[in-house]
Amino acid sequence: MAKLIFSVLMIIFWWMLHALQIDEEAAMRVVHEAKRAIDRAAHAAAQQVDREKLEMGIVSIDPDVAGQTALSYLSYNLSLDAGLEPLPGSFLRDPVQMIAFEIINEDSSFPYTYRNPQYDYEVTLDRPGVVLIAHVKYPRLFGVLAPVEWELKGAAELVF
Amino acid sequence: MKQLLVFVLFAALFCWLMFSPIYKHVLVIRQALLQQEVDYMLEIGASGRYGYIDGWMVEESRVRLAQYGFAPALLEYEIHTASGADGGESANPLLRGTGLRLRIAYPYENLLDIDRLIGLSPPSEYARISGRGMKMSEYVPD
Repeated sequence: MAKLIFSVLMIIFWWMLHALQIDEEAAMRVVHEAKRAIDRAAHAAAQQVDREKLEMGIVSIDPDVAGQTALSYLSYNLSLDAGLEPLPGSFLRDPVQMIAFEIINEDSSFPYTYRNPQYDYEVTLDRPGVVLIAHVKYPRLFGVLAPVEWELKGAAELVF
Repeated sequence: MKQLLVFVLFAALFCWLMFSPIYKHVLVIRQALLQQEVDYMLEIGASGRYGYIDGWMVEESRVRLAQYGFAPALLEYEIHTASGADGGESANPLLRGTGLRLRIAYPYENLLDIDRLIGLSPPSEYARISGRGMKMSEYVPD
């Protein structure tokens, strides 16, 4: 009897290890994918030149278009809807929160150092650019893993 | 004799219980490989030099993925663009600013069939694992 109980406990323990391992592997994948989505969104947003200002020789980012672009790239790459809620088929289960979206425009003096002590982020830009910080929560497959949440940060400059 | 039978059955049960979850890792890794390939192709295709993902690039990609054990014929490539234009034409590259979208899908290929033994039904034959992404094209004509 003792052996039977021991073997059942061993099986449960073994399966928990498997679950933990698979969940950690998947979490690594998700964090990379989300970081890439944020980088792509920040880069695309930073390229949205304000054409009217460009005619006057001022290189500047159009804030409205940049915001829409960032949102569209972030939502497509992570399969989210316009409100950043996951669509069916997305690997996320909780909505993504954009906690910072800063456009550093031509009115700042460059090189400009953006500091965000709250999320421990610092970046120096030589040109107008965009800083994007988003909060992503990993959907755990099993309850073995402790909750995993990330504040993912990305920055991009206007490249021309 | 009875003890021997119990031993054999238990040994088989143990082996199955302990090693059947290994197949899930194959799935996780395959998914990650598809995503890695999507990211690589977008990096190349949306770069300033190309601005498209054409049939030749897809063939190269099939060869790369075949090296990881994917069956090339089963890989499905979907190339779209944010503007609705065709993103697969080398003669007509996407201009800078348009998003290039790529999705590579692959069937589950009986990987989860072993779960039938514990009563879980495997995903349908039309279900796919996939990697996808959208990247802004950087192509600027000379």
